Amino acid sequence: MAYPTLTPTSRNYNSGDYPVKTFRSQSGSESRILYGNRRTGMTLELQYDNITDANAELFLDHYDETLGSYTTFTLPTGALSGWSGNTDALDAATANSWRYDQPPQVSNVRPGISSVQIKLVGVL
Amino acid sequence: MAKIYTGRDGSLLFAGTTQAKVTSWSFQADVEVLETTTLGDAQRSYTPGIQGFSGSATLLYYKADDGSIDAGNFLAKVISAGTTGVAATDVVTLTLRLADGADNNDITFSAYITSATIGASVGEITSAQISFQATGALTAASLS
Repeated sequence: MAYPTLTPTSRNYNSGDYPVKTFRSQSGSESRILYGNRRTGMTLELQYDNITDANAELFLDHYDETLGSYTTFTLPTGALSGWSGNTDALDAATANSWRYDQPPQVSNVRPGISSVQIKLVGVL
Repeated sequence: MAKIYTGRDGSLLFAGTTQAKVTSWSFQADVEVLETTTLGDAQRSYTPGIQGFSGSATLLYYKADDGSIDAGNFLAKVISAGTTGVAATDVVTLTLRLADGADNNDITFSAYITSATIGASVGEITSAQISFQATGALTAASLS
């Protein structure tokens, strides 16, 4: 089962960083060492408000299928809908895939309607 | 036969008993909406949420020949001495009616009296304004 193709209500993206180790001397000068040439650790928070319980269940089922935060996956274009820039700017960077950073948070709004919050992290 | 309803066709029943001196009643039905607009949409969209019903009425503070106060049933739900306050058992059954002979167009529901206002003024008839909040579904809705 792929990640649900629903379009989110809102989306927060953090582009992560390159693997950099920073050293600061007593004089205040800073030295940085680059350990790789691939950006990673990007985060994506997706909010799905007032969706049907059946659609909310799709996220719970996908979380089970990916064994929680164990298995990585790619996102469908629907998850990045509404962004008029290049989709790869919001997606997991080159050689990265997404995994769940925490379990989906489901809030029951009224009978048959729920809201779901998803937090993903990009990993190499 | 065609009919235009007027105030003389209206009545208010408290637990099935018609209140004698009602000068007006109003009823409001609301549906909250839950927004389902998603990224990429140019127009907002919604799905229906929870319904709610409320209303108000004005009754004359009138004493019948048997000594009973016509508006007393309503006033007693919020204006009462003691420390008990208002309990769940203070729910009342109200019927708002528009009648055409034997043909009754009713809205019936359970409700709590949420406010009661009464005053006295020189040269004016004393009346009581009450507000109510329905609880649960309507048990009768035959307006249409």
